[in-house]
Amino acid sequence: MKPEVDKILETTAIQLLTQIAPELPAGYTQGSAGLIGILLGFCANEYENGAELRASENAELRNLLAELEAAVEDVRLCVKLGAVMGERDASLKISDLNYSNAQLKKLLIDVQTYLETRNDDQAKLARREIWAVLKASAKARLVKLPGM
Amino acid sequence: MNDDIAPRLAAYLAKTLGVSAVDVDGLTRISGGASRETYRFAARYYRDGRAYDRRLILRRDPPASLIDTERSAEFRAYKAFHKLGMPVPEPIVLELDNGPLDRPFFIMEEIQHCTVASVIQPDPYGALAPKIGHQFFSTLGRIAKADPDKIGLSDLEGARENSWKHEVDRWEREIDEDEREPQPIARAAIRWLKRNPPPPAQKVCVVHGDYRSGNFLYDAEGNIRAILDWEMTHLGDPLEDLGWAIDPLWSHFNPERPAGLVSREHAIAFWEQASGLKAEPRALFWWEIFASLKGLAIWISAAREYGDGRNADPVNLFSGWYCLAFHNKVLADRLSAVGA
Repeated sequence: MKPEVDKILETTAIQLLTQIAPELPAGYTQGSAGLIGILLGFCANEYENGAELRASENAELRNLLAELEAAVEDVRLCVKLGAVMGERDASLKISDLNYSNAQLKKLLIDVQTYLETRNDDQAKLARREIWAVLKASAKARLVKLPGM
Repeated sequence: MNDDIAPRLAAYLAKTLGVSAVDVDGLTRISGGASRETYRFAARYYRDGRAYDRRLILRRDPPASLIDTERSAEFRAYKAFHKLGMPVPEPIVLELDNGPLDRPFFIMEEIQHCTVASVIQPDPYGALAPKIGHQFFSTLGRIAKADPDKIGLSDLEGARENSWKHEVDRWEREIDEDEREPQPIARAAIRWLKRNPPPPAQKVCVVHGDYRSGNFLYDAEGNIRAILDWEMTHLGDPLEDLGWAIDPLWSHFNPERPAGLVSREHAIAFWEQASGLKAEPRALFWWEIFASLKGLAIWISAAREYGDGRNADPVNLFSGWYCLAFHNKVLADRLSAVGA
């Protein structure tokens, strides 16, 4: 049997939600069991899509930061942006992807904060580009509830 | 655990009520948020030759709390608004000592034969929505109208001047302390809120702090019987609660009906009529952005509690995952639309 973890989690979630939780006494225990079922459903989706989501987002963030370098006049930030250019994710392990993601987002916060101090057209355009990526990232990370 | 609590609770109540014995029956933990452990039970006793059978709720501090909240403020808010005739359970006793049940707690009456909506349930109110919606937003207006000085709540936490800044600073501190990874959308929201302060508050009022669908009980006829979960109550701007109440997370997936109840126009009109205040659009928009940012701060703290193993309640994991992603999306859409 292939370790089809997403299927295992999905099946377990459905069992919890439809067979086990309804048999428990009403109240906190039953509510928690149902919620754990929903969370297992989230985990199933994360198992299948988590690495792809993070790798794509990291690539988007690197592209964005590379484009933003032209709009940044702050030397310290330019050095940091330059350093990011050649970086790659260490592996497709979730922990490695999360590490890179955190580093990239930290730098993005610095750049966005800097650009908000300027009111010229180049800075405004750069800010719009940042929001476009943040919007897409937030949309991609939305979590679907079962049946919705 | 319930068996352990029951005899101690019975002994405590007997002493507090001044009776020889209290029978605590059916003590059961129910859902009630991650900031307090909530139990339902019956207390039976005799006093002055008369038999009592009271259905009560115990709210006890958990071993680790999601957000540090002031349980005496929560108890006093229940007391003050119950006295005003608002739909609030009668508070019975507050115990701050760890001795009786290991952690502080309070007891209040149970409002029976009622329903509480689940936030993830589409259209929970059905045909009752218009009737409940009118009460929901009018009751919030009445809370805003109440004078904190006259109802004994003038010393609640909060700021009388620039409450917007006090609140942004408070929730920024939560994020500073609890974030497990950088939060670019939350940080951008904080900067926007500080760069674009709202107009001064029309008055200082008691802010419920978590007034939303899912935090009130209603009966089969569509009457709101109890406004619950006052644990984040404080002094502040009346628009803070309105912004939170109409946040999209509580809309039951219907963006046209805040709280899953009535249209935005009706919600604001009911609130304005009951409060005697105005929800000026620019000010309300600021408080709506703040509401989603406050949500993010709470979900970030929930994720921290869960991730650090301090509180493994699945509500914390759900909040730190689903709700956090939801509010990131809301804020990204809204802030990008105003050119933040």
